[in-house]
Amino acid sequence: MPSDLDSQIAQLSRCEPISEAQVKTLCIKAREILIEEGNVQVVDSPVTICGDIHGQFFDLMELFAVGGWCPETNYLFMGDFVDRGFYSVETFLLLLALKVRYPDRMTLIRGNHESRQITQVYGFYDECQRKYGSSNVWRWCCEVFDYLALGAIVDGRVFCVHGGLSPSLASIDQIRAIERKQEVPHEGPMCDLLWSDPDDTITGWGLSPRGAGFLFGADITKNFAHHNALDLIARAHQLAMEGYKLMFDRMIVTVWSAPNYCYRCGNVASILELDEHLGQEYKVFSHAPMDVRSIPTKRPPPEYFL
Amino acid sequence: MDPNFPTEDIAPIAILMDELRSEDVQLRLNAIHSIPTIALALGPDRAREELVPFLQDSVDDEDEVLLALAEELGTFEDYIGGKEYAHVLLGALENLSAVEETLVRDKAAESITKIAAVLSPSQLEEYYIPLLKRLSHGEWFTSRTSSAALYPAVYAKVSPAIQEELRKGFAALGSDDTPMVRRAAAKWLGPLLTHFSTPHILTDGLPIYRRLQSDDQDSVRLLTVEDLIVIAQRMSPAEVKEQLLKQIRHSIGDKSWRVRYMAANHFNELAEAVGVEIVREELIGQFVQLLKDNEAEVRTAAAGQIPGFSKLLDKEVILARIIPCVRDMSQDSSQHVRAALANQISGLAPLLGRESTIEHLLPLFLQLLKDDFPDVRLNVISKLETVNTVIGIELLSENLLPAIVELAEDKSWRVRQAIIEYIPLLAKQLGKPFFDEQLGNLCMSWLGDTVFSIRESATVNLKKLIEVFGLEWAKVAIVPRVMGMGQHPNYLFRMTTVQAITIISPSLSLEIVQAEIIDPLLQLATDAIPNIRFNVAKALEVLAATYSGTPEGRLLVLRILPALEQLKNDQDADVRYFATRAYQKTGGVS
Repeated sequence: MPSDLDSQIAQLSRCEPISEAQVKTLCIKAREILIEEGNVQVVDSPVTICGDIHGQFFDLMELFAVGGWCPETNYLFMGDFVDRGFYSVETFLLLLALKVRYPDRMTLIRGNHESRQITQVYGFYDECQRKYGSSNVWRWCCEVFDYLALGAIVDGRVFCVHGGLSPSLASIDQIRAIERKQEVPHEGPMCDLLWSDPDDTITGWGLSPRGAGFLFGADITKNFAHHNALDLIARAHQLAMEGYKLMFDRMIVTVWSAPNYCYRCGNVASILELDEHLGQEYKVFSHAPMDVRSIPTKRPPPEYFL
Repeated sequence: MDPNFPTEDIAPIAILMDELRSEDVQLRLNAIHSIPTIALALGPDRAREELVPFLQDSVDDEDEVLLALAEELGTFEDYIGGKEYAHVLLGALENLSAVEETLVRDKAAESITKIAAVLSPSQLEEYYIPLLKRLSHGEWFTSRTSSAALYPAVYAKVSPAIQEELRKGFAALGSDDTPMVRRAAAKWLGPLLTHFSTPHILTDGLPIYRRLQSDDQDSVRLLTVEDLIVIAQRMSPAEVKEQLLKQIRHSIGDKSWRVRYMAANHFNELAEAVGVEIVREELIGQFVQLLKDNEAEVRTAAAGQIPGFSKLLDKEVILARIIPCVRDMSQDSSQHVRAALANQISGLAPLLGRESTIEHLLPLFLQLLKDDFPDVRLNVISKLETVNTVIGIELLSENLLPAIVELAEDKSWRVRQAIIEYIPLLAKQLGKPFFDEQLGNLCMSWLGDTVFSIRESATVNLKKLIEVFGLEWAKVAIVPRVMGMGQHPNYLFRMTTVQAITIISPSLSLEIVQAEIIDPLLQLATDAIPNIRFNVAKALEVLAATYSGTPEGRLLVLRILPALEQLKNDQDADVRYFATRAYQKTGGVS
C-alpha cells in the first residue's frame, strides 16, 4: 500500500494532479486518520511549523527545499492550504497524501479557508471544477476539512492555531470539548480560533474588521499563556512582510509561509523550526524562481508588443 | 435531416447538438473535442454532408469553444473521406477566420494552411484561392488580417499568373488602411518572401517591405525587422548595401524603443545575413549604439548578442569597440542588464584568448561576482567553466577564490548551491594541499547550513571530493568531522551525520566503515528522535548492500541485522516501516 501512495506523492510533487478515483480513496483514508485526532492534536518536538500556503505549489516546494522533505523533517501546517494561488488542488492533495503516508510526521490543522463557503469564493472550488470537470473533488476535500484538528500543542508548551484566541475559551481543555466535525460556523469558539487576530493597539477584546472572530490584546494573550503553561502561541492567518512577526514580548508569533503572496505582494516567507529542546529558529525564504510553470496562463501569452 | 434514418444513426449528431446547447462551457468544449468520434460513427459521407455543414452553420459560441473547433478542423480531412474532400472544411474555417477574437482567427488560419498542404493544385485554384481573395477583400479588418497568414502556404504551388495576383494582393494588405492588417502583413511578409524568386524579391518584395518599414505605427515597424533579415539573406552583400542600408539604419536607430528592442534581439541573425563587410563598416557602430541605448530593455537584449556578434569581429575590434561598452554595462543601473551581461560575458573569453581575458575580463568577473543582485552573481558562476578552459584554473582560482569564498556565505541559498556544484571541479584542479588550505573548512561548514538543500548538496559534494582525493584523505579530512556532528545536541546535525553516511559510505572502504563509522551509527539507532532512528535504518540498508559481497563484509552485516531487528519493533510506525524494509533487503543478501 505505501508504494501506491509513494507514487501518488511523487506524482503530486511534480505538480501533476492524481485521478479523481485516487482522490476519493485518499480522502476516505485521510478521514479515518483525522477522526482519531483530538481537536488539539498533541505533537512531539522536533517539528517545523508553517503558516498559510494558499495554493502556491512551487513556493511549497521551496519551503521543503529549505526545511527538508517529509518524513525526514516533521511538519505542522497551520491551515489555509487552498485558495488564491494557482495550484490549490496539487498543494492540498500533496499535503494530504503526506499526512496519510506519514501520519506521525505530518500534522495539518484547519484554517478559515478550509471551508465550503470560503473556497467557493476564493478559487479552490473553481480550480477543482476546471481540473476535474466536476465538483466531486471539491466535495470530498471539504469533507476532509471538517475532520481537521482545530489546533495543536507541541510538547505541551507551544500552542498552534490558525487564527487566535476566543473569548469563550479560557483553556486548551475547553477547545477539546468542541464538536468540530462541521462546516466552520459564523460565530462561536470554533469560528474564533480560525478567524481572530492579535492586536497591539488594544487591551482586552475588540471587534474584528474581518466580520468574524475577535481582536485580542497582550493581556489576553499573556493570561491565556500563563493559565495554560505555554511558552509560545504560534499562529498564521495574517501576512507578515518579513515572514514572521513576534508580538507581546515574544509570547505570540505570526508565521507566514506564502512568499510573494498572490504572486505580487513582494513579501518573504518563513517557517519556524522547533528543535528537540523547543529552541526556535525562523528560516526565511523567498519565492521560487519564476519559471513558465509558476504562473500559468489560461491562453498562450500574447505577443509581447501587440 | 432525413426522417427515414433509424434513430440510432441520427443519435451522434443529436447528442452533439444537445451537448453544444449545454450551459457548461466545459461540456461544450468536450463536445467539440469529440467530433472526430462522432464523424467516425457517421462514416465519411455523412460526416461530410451533415456534420460539416452543421458545424459551419450552427456553431456560434464562446471564443474558447470556437478555438477548439478551429483546431479540430485542421486535422479533420481523414474523417470526411480524405484529401480529395479536404476543401469541404474550408467553409467553416473561413467563417472562423473572420471572428473578432484573435486567437480563434489565428488558429483558423493555421488550420487552413494545414489543409492547404494536402490540397491538389486544382483544388487550390478552385477553392483556396477564391477564399483567399474573399478574405483579402473582406469588408471588416478581421478577415483581411487573417488572409495575410494564408499567402505563404500556397504561393509556391500555384501558376505564375496566380502568383502575380498573390503578390498584388499581398501588396494591398501592406498598404491597408487598418494598422492591424498592416501588422499582419509585416508578420507574414518574411515567410512569404522565402518563396519569391530572386527578381520578385527586388521588384515586389522590397517595395512592400519599404512601405511597412516606414509605417507610422511602431507596432508595424517592429515586425519588419524579421522581414529585413529574410530579404538580406536573399540578396548579395552589394545589393544589401545598395538597397537596404538606409532601412537597416532606420530600424536600429528607430525613435521607438520597441523597434530598437526587436533589432537588438535579432542582431546576430541580421549581422550574419548582411555579410562581414557591412558588419565591419556599418553594424559595429550600430551595435555599440544599442549597447548604450537609453532603454534598459534594449541594452538587455543587446547584451544577449555580445558573444555571437563578436564572433564576426577581429580581436582588435572587440577590444577597441565592444570591451569599453561591456565595462560600462557591468556598472549599469539596471540589474537586468547586468544579469544579461553576466550570462554572456564569459563567451568573450575564447574570442579574446588568455592574455586579454586576464587583462580585460577578469576584473569584470570580480566586479560582477560582488553585484548586489543574486542573479548577476549566479550567472557569472554558472558560466565560469568557459573561462577556466581559456585562462586555466590556477589563475582563475588565484583571482576569483576570494570572491568565491565570499559567495559561499551568500545570503541567497541558490548562489551557495551554485558554488557547491563548482567545488569538485575546483578541487580536481587545485590539488589536495591547496584545497585543504583554501576550501576544506568551507565544505564542512556547508554541512551545518540552515537550508536543508545546502546540507544535502554538501554531503553529495563530500562524496565527489572523496572520489577526487581518495580514501586516505577521506579518513583524515572528512570522516572525523562528519562523525563528530553525530554527538551534537541539535538533532539536525545528528541527522546530517546519518544522511552523510548514507551518501558517502559507498565511496569509502570496509576498513573505514568498521573502524570509524559503524559504532557511532549503531549508537544513533537508539536516538530519542524517531526521524534519526529511521534514517539510521536507511543508512544501515545502504551499508549492508554495499559491503555484504565479501566474507569480512558479512561480519559487518552480522552487526547490522540485530540493530535492524530491534528497530523493527520500535514504538514509531515510520521507524518500523523503514527498519522492516532494510531488514528484508539485508536478510536477502546476508
